Amino acid sequence: MAHVWPIGGGKGGSGKSFITSSLGRLSAELGKKTLIIDLDLGAANLHTLVGVPEPKKGFSDFIRKKIPLLQDTVVETPSENLYLISGAHDNFDVANLPYEQKLKTLRAIAKLDFDRILLDLGAGTSFNTLDFFLISQNGIFITTPEPTSVENVYRLIRSIYFRRIRYCFNITDFKEMETEADRQFGEGSYNKPDCLMKVIARTDPEKYLQLKNEFSAFRFKLIINQVRKHDNISLGLQMSRMVEKHLGLNMEFLGNVAYDDHVHDAICQQVSFMERYPYTKTASDLRELGKHIVESVGKQLTLHYM
Amino acid sequence: MRKDFNQLNYYEMLDLQPNAVPYEIRHAYNAAMQLYQPGSLVSYSFFSEKERREILALIEKAYQTLINDQLRKEYDDELVRRGEIDAKEETAPEVKKPVSVFHISRGPTARTVFVSSDALKDRISQSQVIKDILAQSVLSGQDLKQIRTELGLTIEQIAEETKIRVNHIQSIEEGQAQNLPPAVFLKGFVKSYLKCLGLESVDELSARYMNTVSCLK
Repeated sequence: MAHVWPIGGGKGGSGKSFITSSLGRLSAELGKKTLIIDLDLGAANLHTLVGVPEPKKGFSDFIRKKIPLLQDTVVETPSENLYLISGAHDNFDVANLPYEQKLKTLRAIAKLDFDRILLDLGAGTSFNTLDFFLISQNGIFITTPEPTSVENVYRLIRSIYFRRIRYCFNITDFKEMETEADRQFGEGSYNKPDCLMKVIARTDPEKYLQLKNEFSAFRFKLIINQVRKHDNISLGLQMSRMVEKHLGLNMEFLGNVAYDDHVHDAICQQVSFMERYPYTKTASDLRELGKHIVESVGKQLTLHYM
Repeated sequence: MRKDFNQLNYYEMLDLQPNAVPYEIRHAYNAAMQLYQPGSLVSYSFFSEKERREILALIEKAYQTLINDQLRKEYDDELVRRGEIDAKEETAPEVKKPVSVFHISRGPTARTVFVSSDALKDRISQSQVIKDILAQSVLSGQDLKQIRTELGLTIEQIAEETKIRVNHIQSIEEGQAQNLPPAVFLKGFVKSYLKCLGLESVDELSARYMNTVSCLK
């Protein structure tokens, strides 16, 4: 089965699409049949980054049932072993996928026959992003060393946590839990997933155990992008320590990616950064990360709750 | 599920082992401050103002407790009672001793217990030969050697005790002007030699020796 790596990060402009395309290229170069899917619905541009400016078909064809099978929407890219499901030319309401469509898409992704699948998710914490993130235990968060970006990553992590809990309960039970949490831990506690978990522990030990096991199975990853020279290079380690200590989620720091103006140049020229500027710090950082993707092992999809 | 931060013990709060030394505690405290202090990028937006204040207060308390030997001991005792940590065996930390760089083998006779000065004085007062020598107005190296052999001491023993090199002692006893150390050193050497033999009025005797030697020149 394919190893799925959702790549998200809350804030726009932190380099999710660039890193997705670079990691995709690297993994393809290292001999893995790699698919990148543009799930930044409504603001897709992964196709531009991998050198397919005008893809003939894409994800929206699958949603609109023009193409019945997801694997038929795959297009080849100029790079060997690298394939793309483009989000380009999508119709304007695709940004808000209805629940059934989403389930259908998730199941279809699980059936695709590739070694590695990278999902480029959009900014923000829309249900689309959260649900696609929960498809795998190996979600990658990308942030830059700026408060705005860090804030959004924490927000995204909490949203994912919250979303997963929400799946386990119907709407009335959930409302009840929220009021209960508020009552016990003070005003505003319904918004804290850890407080909710404590309520569940008491009211429904069976579900609590199930959720607990699932959360401990997550192996989230963190990448700090656009690290300038004077930035704190241990930020990533400290952030993952924070998440582990205060949210109880496993989080592994994968590495820093150095900031480089040449990234901008490469994107403007629409060429692969890794090929155009292979001897930059940024490129070597990316190669290190690429190894992680290729060497990944272990259980992958966690679709069974859907 | 993991415990809440305020239910962790102080060691867990600061990510320390129960046997951490003060250096590690200070280090861990600094690291924690980097994470939790207001304005830290790492915990930006992670906590509300109130939560952050509570956490900082806890960390401060943890640090103040662990860095103070007395408070830490009491706290450890309490943790042991609660069964959170194992009782520490009370072993004093091993004191580091100087390590010899060279291993010098001195041979079996090298280090012998030196005769106590009381015993020497007894022997001096009993020996007629020594009395005769001391009664003379001159004191040559030969005389010193005679006193030494009378007392049953070896040159090595004298050297060990006075830290004067063996060849110096030999030349002092032979009294050959060309082999003797410079007068400044010689005077000191002779004094400690005489003191080591257990003789009294060392100053006077050493002056007598110096005179005798300078006469030889």
